[in-house]
Amino acid sequence: MNLPDMIYKWFDDRFKISELLPPIVKHPAPEKVTSNPLYCLGGTAFLCFLILAGSGIFLAFYYKPTPEEAYKSVEHIMTAVPMGSLIRSIHHWTANLMIAAVSLHMIRVYFMGAYKNPRELNWVVGVLLFLVATTFGFSGYLLPWDQLAFWATKIGTGIAGSIPVMGPYISLILLGGTDITADTMTRFYAIHVLILPAAIIVLLGVHFMMVRIQGISGRL
Amino acid sequence: MALIEVEKEGKDMAGTQEKQPVRVRGFPFYPHFLLREVVVMCIVIGSILMLSSLFPAGLLKPADPFDTPSPIFPEWYYLYVFGFLKFWTFDVGPIPAKIIGVTLPMVVWYGLLIMVPFIDRNPSTELKDRKFAVGMGIVVLLGILYFTYYSIVNH
Repeated sequence: MNLPDMIYKWFDDRFKISELLPPIVKHPAPEKVTSNPLYCLGGTAFLCFLILAGSGIFLAFYYKPTPEEAYKSVEHIMTAVPMGSLIRSIHHWTANLMIAAVSLHMIRVYFMGAYKNPRELNWVVGVLLFLVATTFGFSGYLLPWDQLAFWATKIGTGIAGSIPVMGPYISLILLGGTDITADTMTRFYAIHVLILPAAIIVLLGVHFMMVRIQGISGRL
Repeated sequence: MALIEVEKEGKDMAGTQEKQPVRVRGFPFYPHFLLREVVVMCIVIGSILMLSSLFPAGLLKPADPFDTPSPIFPEWYYLYVFGFLKFWTFDVGPIPAKIIGVTLPMVVWYGLLIMVPFIDRNPSTELKDRKFAVGMGIVVLLGILYFTYYSIVNH
């Protein structure tokens, strides 16, 4: 018995891989799903998420979320850190591509009626994922702390703040006060790198589990 | 040629699992489906690398709370909210225009979006049997495009 077989057997004895793997590996995807490129959009969005997580962790090594240091640290990433400018650009473009892929995925699901019985709740989770993805974009927009970041956030939080009843609370939670300050930055940073990643991982898990249990709506 | 093989594999699989025949006619996840996913991954990663190299992410002047720049654009996927807010200047009864301009594209729009499967009770998935749902979908898409355009023109 060679080494790979021995390793496989070691794990198989303990975790019964030979029983667990075939249903995953041989699980059939409907013929139309495999041949129609419209079904790639959800997977593309997930790939974007993985790239964003990787490039985001890289950026978090160098980024400093304070009004004094944020802009300088982004400049440092772009000019001094090896490949820094490329990684930041990848993070930027992948974020935009992810929103585009998620939007097109939703349009595909809507026009194919794939949200119908029994997949109603998966549509609901999908809308929540769309909300999380766009909130990622909103919270990330402030972090470079340049003119556009500051003023777009000022207007954005102003709009969210004028929603009836909830608005003032949303505004207070986001800003940590009445204006964009150092408190706002740390909050946006915590939302961007702690709260939203946790939320998206849970929601993606539920989203994929439901697809796995219910299968892909195979109509075309 | 590939398809015949696939039907056979589908039947093989039905035999190995339960006695009940699996009626799904499709490709097994590995290698067929995964191979297609890998091809798509290569295209997506290639496109991202190309865009990032040709058009690097920019950085403007440092934030200055005392100097309002013009124009200020949010991310492109929020433009329609701004557009609608600028477009809607009519008070409805006692409700001020600004409240409607903010509530409709955020609260009402997301509320309706989340309720879609519970509003649309038509069981058919055929486009021609879903004239209302398809019509609404097209109207909403055109609306979002129009308000996005409106926000760029009237910044």
